[in-house]
Amino acid sequence: MFPKRHNEPGYALLSDALNATPAKTVNRYGTPIQTVKADDKRYNQSLNINNDQGIGENPDRYKQHGFYFNADNCIACHACEAACSEKNDNPAHIAFRSVGFVEGGTYPAYQRLNISMACNHCDDPVCLKGCPTRAYTKFAEYGAVLQDPDICFGCGYCTWVCPYNAPQLDPVKGQVSKCNMCVDRLEVGLKPACVAACLGNALDFGVTENIPQNRSQAKAEIPGFPRTDITHPNIRFQQTRTSQRDMTRVDQADVKYHRDEISGQYKPVLDPKHGKQRTWNLNKLLGSHENAHIAFTLSVQTVMGAFLMLLSGVWLAPLATLKSGPALLPALGLMLLMMGFGLFKLNMHLGKPHRFYRGFYNLRHSPVSREIAGVSAFFGGLLGYSFFALFDSTVAQLLQNLFGLLALTGAVLGGYFMYKLYRIEARPFWNHWYTGATFAATALVLGALLLALLALLLNALTPALNTTLLLLISAGLVLETVGLLGHARSLQAAASEGAASFYQQTTFYGKAYWSRNLLLALALLIAGSMLFFNSHNSIAYGLLAVSAIAVNILSRSLFYVVVIPTTMPGAFFWKNAGFVEHARETGLADMPQLGVVYERHHAFKLDELWETITTTSMKQKLDQLRRVFSG
Amino acid sequence: MLFGRTSKNPIKIADKAVVEWKYATCGYCSTGCSIEVGLNNAGKAVSSRGVADADVNRGKLCLKGIFEHELFDSAGRGKVPKYRKHWHDEWKTSDWDSTLDTTHDEIRRIQQTYGRDAFAIISTGQLLTEEFYTLGKLTRGLIGTNNYDGNTTLCMASAVSGYKRSFGSDGPPGCYEDFEHTDCLIAWGSNLPEQHPIIYWRMKEAQEKRGFPLIVVDPRVTMLAQFADIHLPITPGTDVVLQNSMMYVILDEGLQDTRYIEANTNGLEELRAEVSHYDPTTAAKICGIDEDTIRSVARLYANAEAAMQIWTMGINQSTHGSDGVVGINNLSLLCGNIGKPGGTSLSITGQCNAMGTREWSSCSGLPNYRQLENAQDRKDISEFWNIDEDFLPQKRGMFQTDIYHAIEAGLIKGLWLIATNPLSSLPNSERVRRAMQKLEFCVVQDCYEDTESAQYANVFLPAGTWAEKEGVMTNTERRINLINPIATPPGDAKADLWVFNQMAKRFNTDGKVSFPDKAADIFLEMASISKGRLADISGMSHALLEQHRGIQWPYTEQQLNDKQPPPQGGKRLYTEDGTFRYADGRAKLIPLPFIDNNEVPDEKFPIWLNTGRLIEHWHGRTKTGKIGNNNKYSPIPFVEINPDLAAELGIQRGEYIRLVSRRSDAVVMATPTHRVPKNMVFLPFHFHDCANRLTLGLLDPHSRQPAFKQSAIRIESLADQKAAARLSMEMRSF
Repeated sequence: MFPKRHNEPGYALLSDALNATPAKTVNRYGTPIQTVKADDKRYNQSLNINNDQGIGENPDRYKQHGFYFNADNCIACHACEAACSEKNDNPAHIAFRSVGFVEGGTYPAYQRLNISMACNHCDDPVCLKGCPTRAYTKFAEYGAVLQDPDICFGCGYCTWVCPYNAPQLDPVKGQVSKCNMCVDRLEVGLKPACVAACLGNALDFGVTENIPQNRSQAKAEIPGFPRTDITHPNIRFQQTRTSQRDMTRVDQADVKYHRDEISGQYKPVLDPKHGKQRTWNLNKLLGSHENAHIAFTLSVQTVMGAFLMLLSGVWLAPLATLKSGPALLPALGLMLLMMGFGLFKLNMHLGKPHRFYRGFYNLRHSPVSREIAGVSAFFGGLLGYSFFALFDSTVAQLLQNLFGLLALTGAVLGGYFMYKLYRIEARPFWNHWYTGATFAATALVLGALLLALLALLLNALTPALNTTLLLLISAGLVLETVGLLGHARSLQAAASEGAASFYQQTTFYGKAYWSRNLLLALALLIAGSMLFFNSHNSIAYGLLAVSAIAVNILSRSLFYVVVIPTTMPGAFFWKNAGFVEHARETGLADMPQLGVVYERHHAFKLDELWETITTTSMKQKLDQLRRVFSG
Repeated sequence: MLFGRTSKNPIKIADKAVVEWKYATCGYCSTGCSIEVGLNNAGKAVSSRGVADADVNRGKLCLKGIFEHELFDSAGRGKVPKYRKHWHDEWKTSDWDSTLDTTHDEIRRIQQTYGRDAFAIISTGQLLTEEFYTLGKLTRGLIGTNNYDGNTTLCMASAVSGYKRSFGSDGPPGCYEDFEHTDCLIAWGSNLPEQHPIIYWRMKEAQEKRGFPLIVVDPRVTMLAQFADIHLPITPGTDVVLQNSMMYVILDEGLQDTRYIEANTNGLEELRAEVSHYDPTTAAKICGIDEDTIRSVARLYANAEAAMQIWTMGINQSTHGSDGVVGINNLSLLCGNIGKPGGTSLSITGQCNAMGTREWSSCSGLPNYRQLENAQDRKDISEFWNIDEDFLPQKRGMFQTDIYHAIEAGLIKGLWLIATNPLSSLPNSERVRRAMQKLEFCVVQDCYEDTESAQYANVFLPAGTWAEKEGVMTNTERRINLINPIATPPGDAKADLWVFNQMAKRFNTDGKVSFPDKAADIFLEMASISKGRLADISGMSHALLEQHRGIQWPYTEQQLNDKQPPPQGGKRLYTEDGTFRYADGRAKLIPLPFIDNNEVPDEKFPIWLNTGRLIEHWHGRTKTGKIGNNNKYSPIPFVEINPDLAAELGIQRGEYIRLVSRRSDAVVMATPTHRVPKNMVFLPFHFHDCANRLTLGLLDPHSRQPAFKQSAIRIESLADQKAAARLSMEMRSF
């Protein structure tokens, strides 16, 4: 048990029993505050903290707890962050709690609003649902959402879906860790370390919906705090000081929060801090840490598209000729190579690539797990299909078809969840049907292009096949165009971080953005002309290929770099993505005391994998397999 | 588990395996928090926490204290004595005996060649009080230079001077408990949430319990200004005008406490005559606060049952610093707000032991507020130390700021710097650099060997830091508190006390003067000469200090013998009528004529340069710049600039810009914010080769404290941002 002092000051003690207002039984989202009932088998269990079998005596142990933040009082003294990092032994670049701020007004009627934020231990933890490795658990005890870094493989998906920047991906260790609600302190009746350290009397903690002593409100919104409908966060606020109409962020994000005259609530809107200048910034666009995702999605979608086209000879007769012709084996070979490349890039971008097998662990909840399962099924099916294509017997034919079916299923499911996993509420730029459209367009354009170029090379491009493939390419290009138009219209009208993404896309990456649009128009023109003249001129194909591939690479790169998440505002240095980037570019990040580390790749530790295989019993392995489906 | 998994995994939470907690007092600011450092099985300091039953901080610590245990391992610590003939030679590692011998010989050579006062000693507010006392004895009693001062001239000299002028002695009369009794609080140039976060918390606790109006006088919209009931965004350097005008209103409307004034003060009529020139209509045009506000604030203050004023560098670091303090004291005296619960003028001090050096270092006089100018004091101390009475000068020598001007003029040839770094902390760095280069011999004694001033040293003496040593410190509310040795200095580094004692051996050849080895014994020696004085500590001992988590002075032997335990807090000075330290027991009401001699912005340099502190950094950043969990909140220098000015100059958020003054320039990152007006920037002073390249630092005529906060600059945008980034980074190599 946590060593509690005999003379702990009153402010450090959990004090829900002292609250004057009657405790609620159901929270504002309609969820009971009692997590499990006394007759539940999960009741009165040990939390097993650091192998301590003890059970805390906290009378509110099975009630949902949460932080309380009095925004009137925070002075941004960083004591909460320091106490947290001291207790959790975190290095400078990791923080489970951070203070950011927004400001507004004109001197001297100026106001800065500081916001200290950690994990909100949500009713609906999107981190838990998103995590493919099942590293997250929402405990019946205190309703705490805890994450186990020893399970995590460092994909960072939880950091994408969380609107509060609670999970921290450590580029050094290659794993995520986060606020643990100081459950060890709660077990002995102490408030979390950050709360006990607060010097502004701003931060508090207790059973959710309880209003602490001497406080009058329990709101769920203040300027800068994201909307609550995404995760149903367990944090409550007080703010009785009036804020300015516009509260701007001081980090690099081109976002400010504007007060809605009717509801009085603040919504994120565009704040074009960086001017209107249009620039290229190709290095940043093409050299981002998300390159692995670009390589993976483009190659897998291309191969899936091409494979589906190969199999669709049933309906599109010209494609059947391709399947039975000389281009089949080279096509399959090339597709396998591309799949291998994509999967390799994806796996090696993980913080712990040797834990790849954990990607399936959360089939019950995670679109990432389902995507990985689907893509793996597709890859397995493609392998089998290609292998049996080498033989010429009825059995081989049957097996090949079976594998083809597997690949087909994998492509449909994997393709769907690949799209689905980007429909993240906290990432408005992605959370649009354009994501599905552009993924499908890639499959159509690059898939058909792959087949067409191979057929052209191998003299197997019949006029009918040419027309069919050009039609598919054109359809893909049209789909991309329509998707882009729809996306742009929706973003420009958006009262969300999406508007800032669109602004960044058209200014900071403006030249790349317009080049992509021109290339798309060019590709459409070439494909349309070729279709019109039924041309399979190799120069025309070359031009079409170059422009179509460039469009896809630029589109996909923009897709990853300009996404601006719905998240907590940062400060000027700390938690400012702009300063992090600056420190990495200039070499300031070489100083260990700066709190910025470089992105890095992590080794595939074969020995660790081998150790896991050899030290895990068969029973444990089977149990683990069962839990893939049972949770 | 509600969902996520069907089988529960054990939870892992970092466990630092602390087996023992050791008591100390925080070594950062003057709040004087009691701190416990946790040691693991291997005896390594791994954790820090506030002492739960200490009256000052009641279990709390700020972010610097929370990571204070990391100081022991921080980079750049000096581990071995070093020597070189010229400052531009390579360092040679040496041993203590020969470096101390060399130092002794050089000091004597310089004194014999150029006169006794041609060797100067500049100390600090960072040492422990027993160390200050020992250094004072060594300097005044054996080395015999009168050019001996502390870097406290840069922060507290104006408060000292103002207290002396008003009350006849230094010594802040109030305490933190006053927040719990006050009916009105004025903060002059003091930003508690950032500079003294634990004092802020004490204030906030009191305010949440009782509620009292908070008035903040600050040209910048600080966090405290934002939380104020009334914020007075004053024109820089005009505090005295505002004070005079408030006194005008008080006297004009008869709001003063006549009984108190008659029983306790001299000089009312002279004061009345002077403030008659400052009617609010006239004053408003100078200080920038409208006349209605001046009147309402004056009335609010004067009508409060008990009203309190606090101040920090916004007052002290000004050409009218000492006058500003006197002005605050005048207001307090006029309304009877001294020595009563909730009524005080409380200087919120800077360094952890600035008070200890004021009381005991003999920099500005002799121990325990004795004065060189006083024959009896000279006699008492020379007898006690067993030195020749004539060896003591009859007047205090130069202040730190003047010492540098004397080096520049060639009057001072040798310098011993102890735990201070003038190359970062003095105004006009370029002038300081040129002076340092002229020295024939310079000793730097510091716990860090990478301090900028060591560039110009011939001898480097590696010292212990904070709780690698034993001794006491005095905080803002006159509370003496104990530091236990928790770690040992790295390598061959030694406690400063040991260094002073070893040095003393070399000057004390006939063994006439006694230099006890142990801090606890030195404390008893100090206690014995404090009897009957203002700062009487004769009832205290190291053991008693730890037991009570610090004791406010005075606490006398008599009280101890009478079994009166020291109070937890709430001890005040001048609680009885006629107990001020002037001979007649009366305080002085001093008229304050205002002369505007600041470097006011003009056409060529149109912007005010305001400097100040950030919560995450301590002074020259030598400590906090190395602790990632402090440093990361502001790792490189930045300037707050009004967004309208930035837009006019075409400066974007996060761009590097160049600030240019009549002295030099500085490259910093721009953070546009309406915290500052359009004609002012705010630049944190912590960074080397930055703010003080620009500051002029005109000296206060009484305290000789520099006006760090009032200079004029212009701003240049930088086309080559890459080169600027490189330059800014190179400047952080220290």
